Amino acid sequence: MSNFIQNIGKKSPWLYRINAGSCNGCDVELATTALIPRYDVERLGCKYCGSPNHADIVLITGPVTAGVKEKVMRVYDEIPDPKVVVAVGICPISGGLFRDSYAIESTLDAFIPVDVNVPGCPPRPQAIIDGVAKAIEIWKERL
Amino acid sequence: MSITKLAFNMLIFPGGLFAVVISLLLMGIDRKIYARLQRRVGPPIYQPFIDVIKLLQKEILVPRSANFIVFRLAPLLGFIGMLVAVVIIPISGVYPGIDKSADLLVLLYLLSTPALAIMIGASASGSPYSAIGLSREMMVTIAYEIPLLIVLLTIAMKTGMAGGNFADFSLNHIVSFQQQNGSLIFNITMLPALLAYLCCIPGTIGVVPFDMPEAETEIAEGPTLEYSGSGLAMLNLTGGLKVVVISALAVALFFPSTLGGFWLVNLLWFILKCIILVTLSITVVRATRARMRMDQAFKFYLIVPTGLALVSLVLTLLSGKF
Repeated sequence: MSNFIQNIGKKSPWLYRINAGSCNGCDVELATTALIPRYDVERLGCKYCGSPNHADIVLITGPVTAGVKEKVMRVYDEIPDPKVVVAVGICPISGGLFRDSYAIESTLDAFIPVDVNVPGCPPRPQAIIDGVAKAIEIWKERL
Repeated sequence: MSITKLAFNMLIFPGGLFAVVISLLLMGIDRKIYARLQRRVGPPIYQPFIDVIKLLQKEILVPRSANFIVFRLAPLLGFIGMLVAVVIIPISGVYPGIDKSADLLVLLYLLSTPALAIMIGASASGSPYSAIGLSREMMVTIAYEIPLLIVLLTIAMKTGMAGGNFADFSLNHIVSFQQQNGSLIFNITMLPALLAYLCCIPGTIGVVPFDMPEAETEIAEGPTLEYSGSGLAMLNLTGGLKVVVISALAVALFFPSTLGGFWLVNLLWFILKCIILVTLSITVVRATRARMRMDQAFKFYLIVPTGLALVSLVLTLLSGKF
């Protein structure tokens, strides 16, 4: 029965984007080129939702600056279990272009357990979709 | 009606199981046709079933500033209202409805329970985004109820004048009047009323161009913001049931023709009519329009559908026995 629910439920992952101090490059990719009707990720059941309470897969962009760290933790708590975290871009992984800045405390996985990393500045749309597909597989195990 | 027959009607057919399955199918078909209109493949037709099953696996989070009991029980209000509304509407050739004298008025009251449920749930959430969505929902409800009321009154008057009364609000009498005199869709004086009703449908369901209560990019999903898990599943199901009620009501009011005597053929013909209605009034409008502002939507509803419905009302009054 739980196997059946896993196989069925994995076909409807809802995505939510968090901007953790990003330069908006990866956000523009997410909003306009990667997970849009052109590549039709709705075949997999993905859709963007406007509220963290509705989300399953979180896409976090940007290096975690000191000003936004508390707010990202707060919004991350609003997402119900089971959830999967995808770090989009090189900034959450290592600080990226801004890694020597005074405003960056640490990488993202010091605060939040990251499941999938999608490096790139910005990553290609196909790489982002591949990351989301891997995240769906990880999410299926947690259902 | 015996109690077992009533329970069967409320829980299995046409309320309950049948209504939920048809509502999820209609939502799936709407999403599929919307995707095809955008030249892409789109999700499978059974996608809303998967959405509901997935939502039942999620954790339920209640905000600290929310009124716990009202927050959890508000989605039930709309769901139960819509289940009862489905039982009232007759399906011609299959199900006779509840044969009472003023069930159209009861249906009008029941049609406002989902909006009420969303409003109560949103105000119990304790979030400013929900408050904005709630006030927008109230304004849209006020806007589309006016032409809807005039259309229902026009049809009741047309049925009533044929029988000698002023207005006849019984759905059974409306259906049998059309089975004797031809469907109202082929009547030239009723065409403005049909157009006004079709204009009211996107506002009732909450799709583009009238979905500012749940504008995702502006107010983070509005009234349903704090709901997760089974509460959200019930709100989605209520939205789907509202589609079924609105389209079944349109079929009963405007074109309740049957295809012979066998109940299965009539049932499939009814479902096909609902699919065509949903495609024309929800999917095509959703694919070709942008979201309106609150004042634009209010102005539209007070001028265009109200004007069309009033034209039909005046023509019906003039052609009657008065």
